[in-house]
Amino acid sequence: MGAPLDLFGAASAEGAWTVSEVTRRARAVIEHGLPPLWVRGEITSFKAYRSGHWYFTLRDASAQLRCVMWSSDNRRLPGAPVDGLQAFVFGRPTVWDERGEFRLTVVELLSTEAGGLWQLALEKAKAALLRDGLLDPARKRPLPPFPRRIAVVTSPDGAALRDILAVTARRWPIAEIVVVAATVQGEIAERQLVRALAAVDRIVGVDVAIVGRGGGSKEDLQAFNSERVARAVAKCSVPVISAVGHETDVTLCDLVADARAATPSAAAEAATPDRAELLAGLAIVGSRLARSLSARAQRAVDRLERTRDRLHASMSAHFERSGARLTANGAHLDALSPLKILARGYAVATGADGRVLRRVAQLPHGLAFRLRVTDGEVRARVTE
Amino acid sequence: MTGAPASNFAKEMERLEEIVRRLESPDLDLDEALKLFEEGVERLRAARERLATAEQKVKHLLERPER
Repeated sequence: MGAPLDLFGAASAEGAWTVSEVTRRARAVIEHGLPPLWVRGEITSFKAYRSGHWYFTLRDASAQLRCVMWSSDNRRLPGAPVDGLQAFVFGRPTVWDERGEFRLTVVELLSTEAGGLWQLALEKAKAALLRDGLLDPARKRPLPPFPRRIAVVTSPDGAALRDILAVTARRWPIAEIVVVAATVQGEIAERQLVRALAAVDRIVGVDVAIVGRGGGSKEDLQAFNSERVARAVAKCSVPVISAVGHETDVTLCDLVADARAATPSAAAEAATPDRAELLAGLAIVGSRLARSLSARAQRAVDRLERTRDRLHASMSAHFERSGARLTANGAHLDALSPLKILARGYAVATGADGRVLRRVAQLPHGLAFRLRVTDGEVRARVTE
Repeated sequence: MTGAPASNFAKEMERLEEIVRRLESPDLDLDEALKLFEEGVERLRAARERLATAEQKVKHLLERPER
């Protein structure tokens, strides 16, 4: 303590203090006499201004204390408290000159209830998402069986990305992986995740997206419990798999996503078919192809054989019939044969051009011609 | 970034299934069966080759996150 204060000493010639003098002096007394301290009480009249500053009253059964928590301090908290919350606050007692009001400038606020502010913020966000229908199971979209392009929203340097790339390279290297970098931890994580999820929608041909990070403490996963991030996941035009590496806690991001995986590796498995299984499946398709064709070919061979047999049967019947006719026709033809006539003693005369000479006029004196008899041909000449 | 990095595998598998189904149906003439078989074998070969030889491509979205 400094020099004792002269509470009745006049500060002006008129013997009266100005208002400013009094409040300034009161602030000095209070700030001097009361060091920063923890206060316990129930929060009432909570109000958050657009500037981000919080104003509220802390009270117990018989007294109350006005409090302010600047945005620079409350920004670190998971969410705003609600009236009725039992809380511990750490703050600096002071006097607010403009209002002449005694108050506490709060720099830290902890809920004394189970789960505290984290839980509170989470429940409020969950209620808002539920009200907007974003937690409806019917909203969940099926994952594509054979993705061509997979977007991965995570830290470019994290173990999560390494795990995802290892799994997708083994199971489904056909898909192209597009890494959309985002910080997944700390104050900027929320903004970056929202931005990255929006960027996913601008990439052409993405079939499915994975958003996540490796395991961490509850505080580390805070961004994935952000209502804004959850809404960005819901807004994504392709199915989203949430992979926040934490077995026990389900994050808001998990609840809104189309599928949830316990680890980034599990998310990569959910996002991809296994090519080893597919190759086995293709082998089965191949043998079905071969079997079906050989069955088809066998049917064709059977049919061909049946046709051939029928053809044989009908041909031989035909030959039998025509054979009999041929014999009869043969006899007839034989009787008409000119050779038969020659055998009876006739002869045929033909000219040099092979024409048959039938009349005297065709046989002038001295003409050389041929004469055919039954067993051969002789050359002749007209002498008379 | 434009175009798909890989043709549609789902459609490929559907077509293969369809070919096998049609080949297994009894009322199909041999010419068509042979054509389907040839197509099936070719698609099968292509699919197997793609699965066996594919190598993962990784791209990084060039947009850097703001700080």
